Amino acid sequence: MDVIVCVRKVPDTAEADVMVEKSGKDIEKSRLTFTINEWDNYAVEEAIQMKEKYGGTVTVVTVGQKDVEDVLRRSLAMGADKAIRVDMEDPDDAYTLANILCAVIKNQKYDLVLFGAQSGDFNRGVTGAMVARMLGIPHATMVNGIEVLDGSIKASRELEGGLNEIYEIKLPALLTIQTGINEPRYVSISGIRKARQKPLEVLTPSDVGVGSIEPMIVLDKMYMPPPGKLAEFIAGSPEEAAAKLASILKGKGVL
Amino acid sequence: MAVFVFIEHREGKLMDISFESLSAAQKLNDTVVAVVAGENVSDLAEKVAKYADKVIVAEDPKIDTNNEAYTRVLNELIKKEKPKVVIMGHSSMGMDIAPALSVDLGLPIATDVVKINPEGGKIKVTRSIYNGKVLADYNLKNADTYIITIRAGEFSADDLKEKNGKIEIVDSLLKDEVADKKFVGYVQPVVGAVDITQADILVSVGRGIKDKENIPLAEELAKTMGGVLSCSRPIVDYGWLPKERQVGTSGKTVKPKLYLALGISGAFQHVAGMKGANMIVAVNKDPKAPIFSVAQYGIVDDILKVIPALTQKVKEIKG
Amino acid sequence: MMEVEEASFDKLYDVYACMQCGKCTGSCAVSLRTKLNIREMMRIAILGNNDDLKEHEEIWDCTTCGICTVRCPRDLKPSEVIVGLRSVLVEEGEVPSTIRDALESIGNNNNPWGRPKSKRADWMNDLGVEVKNLSAGDEAEYLLYIGCTASYDTRIQKISRAAVRVLTKLGVDFGVLGEEEPCCGSEARMMGESGLFEMLVEDNLNLFNDFGISKIITLSPHAYNAFKTDYKDYKKRLEEEGIEVPDLELDVVHYTQFLAEQIDEGRLTSDMMNEFNKTVVYHDPCYLGKRNNIFEPPRQILSIIPGINLVEFERREDRSLCCEGGGGKMWSEGTGTGERNAVIRARDAGALGAEVIAVACPFCMSTLEDGRSTAGYEESMEVKDIFEILDEVLK
Ligand SMILES: Cc1cc2nc3c(=O)[nH]c(=O)nc-3n(C[C@H](O)[C@H](O)[C@H](O)COP(=O)(O)OP(=O)(O)OC[C@H]3O[C@@H](n4cnc5c(N)ncnc54)[C@H](O)[C@@H]3O)c2cc1C
Ligand SMILES: Cc1cc2nc3c(=O)[nH]c(=O)nc-3n(C[C@H](O)[C@H](O)[C@H](O)COP(=O)(O)OP(=O)(O)OC[C@H]3O[C@@H](n4cnc5c(N)ncnc54)[C@H](O)[C@@H]3O)c2cc1C
Ligand code: SF4
Ligand code: SF4
Repeated sequence: MDVIVCVRKVPDTAEADVMVEKSGKDIEKSRLTFTINEWDNYAVEEAIQMKEKYGGTVTVVTVGQKDVEDVLRRSLAMGADKAIRVDMEDPDDAYTLANILCAVIKNQKYDLVLFGAQSGDFNRGVTGAMVARMLGIPHATMVNGIEVLDGSIKASRELEGGLNEIYEIKLPALLTIQTGINEPRYVSISGIRKARQKPLEVLTPSDVGVGSIEPMIVLDKMYMPPPGKLAEFIAGSPEEAAAKLASILKGKGVL
Repeated sequence: MAVFVFIEHREGKLMDISFESLSAAQKLNDTVVAVVAGENVSDLAEKVAKYADKVIVAEDPKIDTNNEAYTRVLNELIKKEKPKVVIMGHSSMGMDIAPALSVDLGLPIATDVVKINPEGGKIKVTRSIYNGKVLADYNLKNADTYIITIRAGEFSADDLKEKNGKIEIVDSLLKDEVADKKFVGYVQPVVGAVDITQADILVSVGRGIKDKENIPLAEELAKTMGGVLSCSRPIVDYGWLPKERQVGTSGKTVKPKLYLALGISGAFQHVAGMKGANMIVAVNKDPKAPIFSVAQYGIVDDILKVIPALTQKVKEIKG
Repeated sequence: MMEVEEASFDKLYDVYACMQCGKCTGSCAVSLRTKLNIREMMRIAILGNNDDLKEHEEIWDCTTCGICTVRCPRDLKPSEVIVGLRSVLVEEGEVPSTIRDALESIGNNNNPWGRPKSKRADWMNDLGVEVKNLSAGDEAEYLLYIGCTASYDTRIQKISRAAVRVLTKLGVDFGVLGEEEPCCGSEARMMGESGLFEMLVEDNLNLFNDFGISKIITLSPHAYNAFKTDYKDYKKRLEEEGIEVPDLELDVVHYTQFLAEQIDEGRLTSDMMNEFNKTVVYHDPCYLGKRNNIFEPPRQILSIIPGINLVEFERREDRSLCCEGGGGKMWSEGTGTGERNAVIRARDAGALGAEVIAVACPFCMSTLEDGRSTAGYEESMEVKDIFEILDEVLK
């Protein structure tokens, strides 16, 4: 089984204060830490577990400038065999990105392509399925379980409300991976150091053979949402408070 | 010009997101055309017609709840009817279908949208990015049709206006069965092996639950809400719940849609494991409990009174 | 032969000298409540079989308290062998997920708690006193090294704030590093991630050098132990690897040592204090006591507080009962069952009539705060750091 995994470096904004730059086109990044997109980490682990079980190779691919290379090194240390970086600014538009990734993947040998279900910064959840379409192979998004069969796989997709649905999909195929599908291993610092010997290929956009692509979506401006409130206390007797809470939960679509 | 709404349904039931999509479509002040595809969907179509100007029903057993089949049916319908906008949920299903349609038809797509602003013939959307800390407006490339998936909970179905549109049944648009991607079936994740990291709703109890005897109260609330019971570390230490249920730095890190903290003070080690939840609601008799500083909603009261009351109310709402 | 990165277990730890007497197990802090049998771990190290190792999840139960090393009649270091065994697992990526997350966070955020760097100085908000920031160009004689837990844990932050107020009142010329303060790496090393620790040693020596820091007062005995002992060893290692590190001799003290010195020199006296009319029992942290033989200074500080009724645990000093806070235990529950040591400790304190357990370590604060509640002393007993008591009594 030869598997390609597309990975991306994202800022960790779960808890950090995020500010929009004056230009309104980006956020201030100097004080943020960047790591591999959480979903992609699961995808890499899944690919490596497949390799350990069925043999084959794992190739990790990213589009970005030199500073994103550490996510590739980390993936190599996890057990990937080869890494490819397309040396260009990460495009603002998923369609452009998908075109580039498609062009890279097309020239590789693969049975399976894995993406993260979404990335933690823009949470669009679109790149993977687009690439599948461009490659002309079947896909399944939000995959939380994979069973390898002969020439095909069974993929379990996570649905809302705790239900899963199962598809049988012919190989080659593309899956986007949901968190929790496995337990990603720890990658030690000395492991990352040792992985420096593994091959990391850098391609230019012209190597890949993509010219200019008209983006489908263009950022107009970024801005801060209205400040969130602190805890809103729900008053009343236990029955009244419970009733109010229940209707809030219903209104927010949680129930 | 029309706005298409792709109606999601599962096992004979309409999904909530379908009504939210209808609500988003109605706000665009255009003809709302709902698309209901699948097998035996005519009674679903009637429920949808209430809120649409027109319902297109594509009855076809070959669809077999296969996302690829839905994609192909939608593809044909869009080519035929040329709607201005296609709206569906940014749901598991929408994520499978919408990007594929975009590439197949060469149409611009915006996903997980929280606001849609038409500007003349163009469309601008608002997305919430970086963990909801930043909003961003995007312009979509000029096109005949725009594909948009909406975030759940952003377009309230309460705003729906009645339209009572007509139902139009179209011939099967699916030429062949889908060969390379077969729907096998739905499965309920194995019960027994409770995995609190995968639950959408966690009802979590802390030392405030006081007694092992009270655990079933919380268990019932969790069940009623369709959630799972989790806890703080002392509850595990007392042996009232198994280790797998512990949330926190030395337990599990969870990110449910709703985290309901009952009688939990909000110690650092606990909060570190649950602060990533979409919504945190805390019930604690101490208004100064640190848990309230990470909660969006709080009730200051005795959990032993609030839990049964809430169970009752949720039951009423769920019918 | 199972190998850790740099050499075999035999070369590094002389494991063949172990006579399997079991004194280590007999003294072990957790042998009664976990599956850990340190003598057996020694045997595994002697036989050297990686596959075996994965089945011994109890490797993560060790608190690295170090008492086994104190007790070993052959002068072996079983507590270091555990760290070595862990590092084999770390290199294979086979670590419990909570430990993995803590280690990854040290690598990404420079703290094991998964918190952003940009919030590391939040404990200083509304402090009410000016503090020098050595990373922002201020100069001072001492760096007060706060550490990760005392920077982020909302309960422990109170110790950091108390520390600043007390040192300010005493007129000490000190500063902090604010958001730029790095993780000392002690827990990373104890969890077996020696590569990460080595990287931190390199980075931090450079950072201290850049900001002109050589004298350090630490809040945590773990940071004290790392700066004092492990940084020296690893500096040598780095130099052997041909990596250039600044020639910096760190002059490190734990704050209890520093305050005891102030007493000796007459700068901290009973006259400066109000009465503290409570029964207090001091809990020896392993990294101060067993590992570094610092028993007197904390007691000396407490003893000059007017009105205090100091009592002692029966198990104290080098026989003190480990609170189970170290060695990565903050991020792993392990195989432990039954009563935690911290609960036992709180009960022992209760039996002595103590109203306050005095601690001198952030981890002890975490574990004992929890143990006290579990033991049912929420209303009648407090856990206080010595800095907090001083903050309360200093006029
Ligand atoms: C205003 C703006 C600012 C931006 N700033 C940044 C920035 O600071 N840093 C930055 O890295 N990008 C930046 N981008 C680029 C943009 O994030 C990409 O277009 C990416 O597709 C968006 O992620 P997503 O959430 O839409 O991906 P999704 O559709 O959710 O898909 C995510 C999956 O696609 C794959 N993937 C995503 N990106 C890559 C990649 N570059 N290489 C290989 N595989 C990939 C991964 O498998 C990932 O899990 C910016 C875009 C905009 C509009
Ligand atoms: C190394 C270490 C690791 C730890 N790891 C974890 C971990 O992973 N997860 C974890 O949870 N903890 C962990 N802890 C423990 C943590 O420090 C706290 O002790 C624990 O989270 C407290 O649990 P609690 O909130 O349930 O109890 P308490 O702090 O005792 O809080 C009980 C709360 O219930 C309220 N209450 C009481 N009665 C009622 C009532 N009738 N109605 C409403 N409210 C009521 C009280 O006001 C109080 O706020 C760890 C501790 C250590 C030392
Ligand atoms: S005390 Fe020392 S000699 Fe005895 S078993 Fe333990 S390590 Fe071996
Ligand atoms: S260091 Fe302490 S906990 Fe670890 S094995 Fe030795 S005695 Fe036991």
